[in-house]
Amino acid sequence: MTAAFLVARGIAKRFGALTALSDVDLEIRPGEVLALLGDNGAGKSTFIKILAGAHPPSDGELIVEGMPVAFSSPKDAASSGIATIFQELALSENLSISENVFLGRELKRSVLGVPFLRRAEMRRRVDSLLKELDAHISDPEAPVGSLSGGQRQAVAICRALNLNAKLVIMDEPTAALAVAETRKVLALTRRLAERGCAVVLISHNISEVFEVADRIVVFRRGRKVAERLRAETDPEEIVSFITGAHPGVRALEKTN
Amino acid sequence: MRQFRDGVFSMTGREWSLLAACVLAIIVFSVASPYYATSGNAGTVLRNSIELLLIGLGMMLLLAMGGIDVSVGVVMGLAAIGVGRALGAGVDPVLTAFVGPLTGALLGLVAATVIVLGRVPAIVGTLGLLGVYRTAIFVLLGGQWLSGLPTGLTVLLGTTILGLPIAAYVIALAYLAVWVALRRTPFGLHLLAIGNSEEKARLSGIPVVKVRFATFIISGALTGLAATFYVANYRNVEMTVGSTLALDAIAAVVLGGTSILGGKCSLVGTVLGVLLLRILQNGLLLVGVPSLWQPVVTGGLLIGVLSFEVLSNRLSLLQFRWAGK
Ligand SMILES: Nc1ncnc2c1ncn2[C@@H]1O[C@H](COP(=O)(O)OP(=O)(O)OP(=O)(O)O)[C@@H](O)[C@H]1O
Ligand SMILES: [Mg+2]
Repeated sequence: MTAAFLVARGIAKRFGALTALSDVDLEIRPGEVLALLGDNGAGKSTFIKILAGAHPPSDGELIVEGMPVAFSSPKDAASSGIATIFQELALSENLSISENVFLGRELKRSVLGVPFLRRAEMRRRVDSLLKELDAHISDPEAPVGSLSGGQRQAVAICRALNLNAKLVIMDEPTAALAVAETRKVLALTRRLAERGCAVVLISHNISEVFEVADRIVVFRRGRKVAERLRAETDPEEIVSFITGAHPGVRALEKTN
Repeated sequence: MRQFRDGVFSMTGREWSLLAACVLAIIVFSVASPYYATSGNAGTVLRNSIELLLIGLGMMLLLAMGGIDVSVGVVMGLAAIGVGRALGAGVDPVLTAFVGPLTGALLGLVAATVIVLGRVPAIVGTLGLLGVYRTAIFVLLGGQWLSGLPTGLTVLLGTTILGLPIAAYVIALAYLAVWVALRRTPFGLHLLAIGNSEEKARLSGIPVVKVRFATFIISGALTGLAATFYVANYRNVEMTVGSTLALDAIAAVVLGGTSILGGKCSLVGTVLGVLLLRILQNGLLLVGVPSLWQPVVTGGLLIGVLSFEVLSNRLSLLQFRWAGK
């Protein structure tokens, strides 16, 4: 088995009096699609926001490639090779596709100390990324505000690819997509893993998860209640973990 | 699409309408008043526009970033006192010219500290500073006007190069610099991204705090530069200096098509918004409307254009639904 890219130990997150996450242990491995499931409010988005450097954890530690890390911003996480596609896609609708793909990490050349954008080069790169993704977007200069849900998802994925990320986290990437666009995003998810990327996928769609995931983790009320290899489980068992009907979950919730 | 590409420097329907409104106003006033269509009056309108062109440029950047500054009038007042005092003390005029932008930049730094580090909404933070600075002006002036200042800075308006006063070149340079910053450097993308959504900008890895600080400082410096021209123009600073400037600047910029909600701005629109406002104010005065009514006209325009935008947004949303999309 390959060494984990990222190890989370005892992660907890409190928002004031509300405990959104407690004592979560998780290992994320390269080349593997890990699906994160759980009911609304289970803490999935909160967990990945901690991995992404958007929230500091209240407790616990993160270890990336064997080294403990403390992210104080999404930029820190990005420089550790973690790219996140947030549920509320962090795209700027008023900027163009190529501007969005490079936002925060623009290509520039310095003239007399002033950083000038290398727009032509950025456009060229985005153009070839879009082709590679088969995203059906012809103009990288179009404003993101004018794109469809699937096209926006593709732009967000472009951003992750462009970062050469070692871990790509996707929060419900297919939630707002039509069938054809969903297929494309799922295929892309597999392709990322085949490239050696670690992928974390959050989804509410069980059949979709069984189609692409190698490993399935279930969150319930801020705790990790199950971790299964896909081959060792079935949709019924996973659903019982999510709803809390599984005897193991009942026992766990009684002890706490 | 075309329009988007040069997002900050373009002639869209908005800019053309403003230009048409300017022309229309000039025609109406020329018919209404025999004093209106004179070269002397054209000069007056342009001279009266100088400060607002610079302050409006800073306000445009702030609004585009989702910020605002309602203290620009008193910031200009404080910077003008600095310039005036330096001039009165016999400091070299070239150095004096820089006192304005430096004071303004410093006050921009103060505003940014209060708003960004203090986590106070921009409108509230600058409103608080407005109160403080208004009293500071009173104290500094000791209840009297700063008047009869030396003519050291008059060259900025009096000396012409190729038929245009130095002021025109300075303003053109300021607009060019802002255009370059917005369209050719990462700073512009970051500013517009923050204006679209501060949270998304942060998630994208943009140094939000740095960009917000820089924008307040730039806007302060532009307001301070306006103070230099103010002193050059009037050679006095009165107690109520700049009392309608914030309203004028916000109205002109919003009129020009910059979004009050952030994320969108127009350089050409800002220039035309300033000119339209000053043309109206000057024309109304010449046809006998007391200057007391000027803020009413400005405020009315501001409210009118904002309601119009809300309405037309609703309309296009409705059409969108009707089209079955
Ligand atoms: N910034 C915040 N401040 C306060 N509470 C928060 C914040 N973010 C999340 N929460 C709370 O933490 C809990 C977990 O939310 P989270 O968004 O992680 O759930 P989720 O599993 O992603 O749900 P969904 O499937 O609906 O996206 C919820 O009770 C939510 O209200
Ligand atoms: Mg969520």
